[in-house]
Amino acid sequence: MTRSQSLLALSRRYLSTTTTKPTTTAAAAAATATATTPGRHTFCLGRTQTQTPQQQPQCLQRLRHTPPRHPIRSYHSAHHPSPPHEYSNSQTTILSAALRHVPSHGFTRDALTLGARDAGFLDVSVQLLPRGEFDLILFWLASRRGLLRSRVEEDALLQSPQGPLSTDQKVKILVMERLRMNVEVRDKWQDALAVMSLGENIPSSLSELHSLLDDILDLAGDVSVDASWYSKRMALAAVYTSSEFVMTRDESVDLRDTEEFLSRRLADTKAVGEKITGVKQCLGFMGSTAVGLGRSWGLKI
Amino acid sequence: MKSLRLLRAGLRAPSLRPATPVVLDFLAPSTLQTCRHYNSTALRQSPASTTGSSKPKYVLNEQQKEYLERALRVNQAGELAATLIYEAQNPQVVRSHPHLRPLMKHMYDQEVGHFKTFNQLNAKHRVRPTVMYPVWEVAATFLGWSTGAMGREAAMACTEAVETEIGSHYNDQVREILSWKAEAESRGEELDEELEDMLTTFRRIRDEELEHLDHAVANDAKEARPYDPLVNVIRYGCKAAIKITERV
Repeated sequence: MTRSQSLLALSRRYLSTTTTKPTTTAAAAAATATATTPGRHTFCLGRTQTQTPQQQPQCLQRLRHTPPRHPIRSYHSAHHPSPPHEYSNSQTTILSAALRHVPSHGFTRDALTLGARDAGFLDVSVQLLPRGEFDLILFWLASRRGLLRSRVEEDALLQSPQGPLSTDQKVKILVMERLRMNVEVRDKWQDALAVMSLGENIPSSLSELHSLLDDILDLAGDVSVDASWYSKRMALAAVYTSSEFVMTRDESVDLRDTEEFLSRRLADTKAVGEKITGVKQCLGFMGSTAVGLGRSWGLKI
Repeated sequence: MKSLRLLRAGLRAPSLRPATPVVLDFLAPSTLQTCRHYNSTALRQSPASTTGSSKPKYVLNEQQKEYLERALRVNQAGELAATLIYEAQNPQVVRSHPHLRPLMKHMYDQEVGHFKTFNQLNAKHRVRPTVMYPVWEVAATFLGWSTGAMGREAAMACTEAVETEIGSHYNDQVREILSWKAEAESRGEELDEELEDMLTTFRRIRDEELEHLDHAVANDAKEARPYDPLVNVIRYGCKAAIKITERV
């Protein structure tokens, strides 16, 4: 019985922590109940369901998952696919169901609770997501990123009847497609951005932003692996985040204003990039001319 | 009582047991444990696992993926540096010793080939290039130019030192991938073709780098003055650069 074994292990761990410092009587009672009869774990959960979120006994905090890490993924290969996120099945089920409530309730705990109810979980199971709203936001970002990839690979988003597109055109199409996915949560997105910009959330948010930009550039067929790898990602990050802000206030049909804004920003980036390349080329030419002149005069350089 | 015991025995039977649940999946209602929702996460299945040979593929763990990422990043930076060193040495060495022109061209062409190989590999596997890329460009050009200015022997000693480090570095990588291969075979699995190709490529490149080492020694690398300080400085510099490139 693997299931009851895992339950036993859980309740033992839980007993060792709660019996040393029982905070509430409910927790202590639940502790003995779960420790002696592992099959009655629902007692603990049943009791807590009736309580308000502020009064949750400590036992539930022990049941929380460790927050999923969001590493910058290394070594991509078709033979070794890595999942777009690291949430467990229960977490994924709750989060996917909660996404349907985001347009009406925003990225809030309410959406999570409603999602858990839809999926048939108890209300308290939102405790599986220790970071609450931020987990919902991260899941939104990660799943939209997966969706963008599947649009390209399955719906042929980047196929054009006018022949092959350039990398710049593909980047623009991909960014617009990603922004259009945010249309239904347009009113809620500024709140989400605010949550993402909280100190402890910044590393995960940046990592997710990097994953998105990396995916966009990869899907657009950019293969540069020199110093421009960094400059391209930084430039695109600036363009993408500013377009995202514009999108939240854009009331036009099919995000026409955002698209124009994005085109202007991309053109600016391109112009700056060309200037820098030109200056570099000029300096390199002058340098090699100087060295060549010196050598022709017999200098040992 | 008897019927209860029977019921328990039936529950314990492996055929009735659901698949090993992820921790805390007991919270999920029973309907959800069989159908898992993966909407919009689009997990791609590898195309090669279904076709080709019958043996199962060896699955890399996170540490191995990270090792490969670091190895590829270092290799790319190393080949970039090698290309620039030869490029900077070439005019000065060839002017005073025209008979070295074919050899220098041969070695330079091979390094350019290696550099292209790693550029393609890194783009394919989406490996981040090193942050120190521009720094290594300047450092390698300076190293090539200065040893070239010191004369043919110093240039060859530089080649000897660099190729010794790079050759042993490739050797370590080949050994690591071979150990994965041995592990895969002991489990009745096999490496995927990308890793097999990489193994062949690393072996070929290692042999070519060691060939450059032989050429350098044959062209009086040992005659360089001062030999020991020069070679040691370059070797330790290479080691430090490899360590830095692995991290950033």
